[in-house]
Amino acid sequence: MKKAPILRGFTLAYLLFLYSPIILLPIFAFNDSRVVAFPLTGFTLNWFSEMLGDVNLRNAAKNSLIIALSVASLSTVLGIFAARASVRYSFPGKAPLMGLIMLPLVLPEMIVAMALLVVLLSLNITLSLLTVIIGQTLICTPFAVAILTSAFQSLDRSLEEAAMDLGETQWSTFRLIILPLVMPGILVSFLICFTISFDEFIIANFLGSGQPILSVYIFGQFRFPAKVPSMLALGTVLVLFSIILLGVAEYFRRRGIAKAGGKDTGGFL
Amino acid sequence: MAATPKSEARAGLKLISPTAIYVILLLAVPLATVLVYSVMTGGRGVVALPLTIENYARLWSQPVYGFIMFKSLMVALTVTLITVLLAYPVAYYVSFHVRPERKSLWLFLITIPFWTSYIIRVSLWFVILGYDGVLDRALISLGIMDTQLNFASYGIPAIIFVLAHAYAPFAVLPVFVSLEKVDRSLLEAGQDLGETRWRTFLRVTLPLSMPGVIAAALIVFIPTVGDYVTPRLVGDGKEPMIANFIETQLLRLQNMPQGSAFAVASMTMVGIVSIAFVLLNRRFLRGQK
Amino acid sequence: MTFSDDRPTMIEFRDVHKYYGDYHALRGINGTIKAGEFFSLLGPSGCGKTTLLRTIAGFEDISSGVVMIDGKDMAGVPPNVRPTNMVFQSYAIFPHMTVAENVGFGLRKDPRSKQEKARAVAEALEMVGLKGFGNRAAHALSGGQRQRVALARALILKPKVLLLDEPLSALDKKMREHMQVELIKLQRQVGITFILVTHDQEEALVMSDRIAVMFEGEIAQLADPETLYRRPNSKKVADFIGTMNFIPAEVLSESGDKVEVEAKGLGRVTIDASAAPAAKGESPVVGLRPETMTLLYDDQKAIERETAGVIDEVIYFGDMTYYDVYLGGTDVEVRLSMRNVPGRPVLDVGEKVRVAWSPSALVLFR
Repeated sequence: MKKAPILRGFTLAYLLFLYSPIILLPIFAFNDSRVVAFPLTGFTLNWFSEMLGDVNLRNAAKNSLIIALSVASLSTVLGIFAARASVRYSFPGKAPLMGLIMLPLVLPEMIVAMALLVVLLSLNITLSLLTVIIGQTLICTPFAVAILTSAFQSLDRSLEEAAMDLGETQWSTFRLIILPLVMPGILVSFLICFTISFDEFIIANFLGSGQPILSVYIFGQFRFPAKVPSMLALGTVLVLFSIILLGVAEYFRRRGIAKAGGKDTGGFL
Repeated sequence: MAATPKSEARAGLKLISPTAIYVILLLAVPLATVLVYSVMTGGRGVVALPLTIENYARLWSQPVYGFIMFKSLMVALTVTLITVLLAYPVAYYVSFHVRPERKSLWLFLITIPFWTSYIIRVSLWFVILGYDGVLDRALISLGIMDTQLNFASYGIPAIIFVLAHAYAPFAVLPVFVSLEKVDRSLLEAGQDLGETRWRTFLRVTLPLSMPGVIAAALIVFIPTVGDYVTPRLVGDGKEPMIANFIETQLLRLQNMPQGSAFAVASMTMVGIVSIAFVLLNRRFLRGQK
Repeated sequence: MTFSDDRPTMIEFRDVHKYYGDYHALRGINGTIKAGEFFSLLGPSGCGKTTLLRTIAGFEDISSGVVMIDGKDMAGVPPNVRPTNMVFQSYAIFPHMTVAENVGFGLRKDPRSKQEKARAVAEALEMVGLKGFGNRAAHALSGGQRQRVALARALILKPKVLLLDEPLSALDKKMREHMQVELIKLQRQVGITFILVTHDQEEALVMSDRIAVMFEGEIAQLADPETLYRRPNSKKVADFIGTMNFIPAEVLSESGDKVEVEAKGLGRVTIDASAAPAAKGESPVVGLRPETMTLLYDDQKAIERETAGVIDEVIYFGDMTYYDVYLGGTDVEVRLSMRNVPGRPVLDVGEKVRVAWSPSALVLFR
């Protein structure tokens, strides 16, 4: 590769810019001062223990976990149906249906949230964790479909035919051949949807009716300077958590590619 | 296994039906409801007949609506321009100057910040740029400033800055993908025919990567124009954008028809701008293949 | 080379049609394939040969007509219960399984004990020359090995018919020639009906007992390789199988089993009626294969007929040389091939030559 010092310098500066607020998280999370400012005053674990002692936060975290697990499961299942149907079959209305399913990708979340809210309110449905799950699943399903579509596409059609030729039914072919081969894609879809749901704010805020949900809780707490350090501790934990989940997802993605005997062509999306 | 079109169509429809029913009931119906509400007569907590175009007429007659839309549009377009301009050299570097086996690692590094909580990232900027925040204290203790700068209160510039940061990684990937598709032998051919490296870039690489640039612009533009969190946190919440204004109309003023009309009009505007991007894309695509 | 007709019928097509929407992929296929026969479906891409194979396997429904396997109508019978197994063009080796798991895949519902099944797998692997490969991961195999695994996997179920969809097209030339011989041996060993789809006429000639040549959804000719090569029933088949020179001709008279023609550059020739398939309304030509003509050296004499000519082009192949020769002072040019043997120098462009040929090698198309 040719050397390009200016481009390289620019790219490194760009990365620094991208990471700049996140880098501050661990720095101030361990800093022994309620005021978030340089110079640092000393090392402490106080903010982490304050975070762990916060009952509201624990509640919010529990709710977020329930929501994220439900959304990830539901989106991935809906994604499997849609991706398999779109890769394998042609049927009338396919393009508009797939367009509708993928629509939330190009629709501001606020519009999805408000449209759903308007209907829920007019039907007198009480807002709850369930309404958040319903809304976030709309947002996450397109991601699941995109990931799973590429998983199903990398599947050679003749593998299915071979299994049927060797005496298997459609269902046992799905179970013995297709499912194991797209499993990495399913796991990646689950992890990505989990991450998106866990971090999602707008639907959690508007369709959650004030239930404690982590992203909403964080949004509220950052306004109180006294609460900021423990939020930074929480942020540190969450960022670490996200990176681990993404690492796992990337691992499965690569394993999926290796399994199918393909070549790595890039990252997510 | 039968492959006659009819049974295949039935099998496909059966398979997609759970997902299709879900999005029709929970996405298509709500969006249609908003569309219907927007032509109904409204007031505080009222949605009633008769059908009217009053709500849309008000969007024209009262300057605040147009102002909010125009402001959001300008903010989003500025953010789009900044992110794409910053992303292009990065994508170019990764595509042309990084060893192939290291490319995924670089892309992974660039995408990680995008996968960490958006709320935390924006809130951190609030902590950094806010009154007496990290930036202010650093500037004062270094003696560069003697009073707080409080950049976060600078309204639109602060919003643009934070949004440009939040959506930066979105722009790198599409540009990178389009650059990867550029046939390297074309570049050698360009230089072989006597062009300088810079002229080759202008005449070959840049045009070929334009579809990626347009895609990147679209990917940044749509979520930024509808962003809710940043205008609320940054700029002291005094510079509402479309999403904030929809919230005000629908939830604070409880005027569903008026809020719906505003939402529909805003989305139409976003749609028109997006289609303009796509048409640009077509123009560049036509030269290829 | 000829295949005995007294064997029982394994597969029978009766007026099989297949439509994809408006596209007419199979246009009335008729014919039978005998038990134990090595049968090839040969044709250019898009001729319907793979579609026909897939109707036997059950992957394609037919629009009308009947496909019978071993005396049973296959309408509505799904692929998993048909007595056929297939070797796919891509081999379709399950990438998440070992070689042994792949080969034993079809035995899942077999009532035999685990040990017996393992023995069957080992035997199948040995048969295809992969003894001891059972524990290899499927994705770590070479192209030739994948093909053998696909063969073992299909044969372990002892099907009545083995279907092979262009199984050799992904291999390099050397490997392909090697596998051709192996497949022939394997077919003799197991004795079941093999049906091969190929676009490679040489491959079909080498391997098959009989060949169906297909064009545009129809069988143009169904015959043994020798008949196909020596007595093609149309110009199109003649052109697809090997190389053939076409020389404009005029039919002078027709009596009983003889046809007398005037071929440009060759003169007046009498052709046996068996070498003059039914007229198709085209302007008459006679066909002559390159290797049926010989250049005569100084003292040689033609056994039957001889025509003077001038060399227009020389193409040297090492073991062979192709000569393009203008015949008898006309603008008719034929290509003929000569084996390069010691004492026969390669001739030059422009040299005057004598071409020996035999009327019995001529085919008339009209």
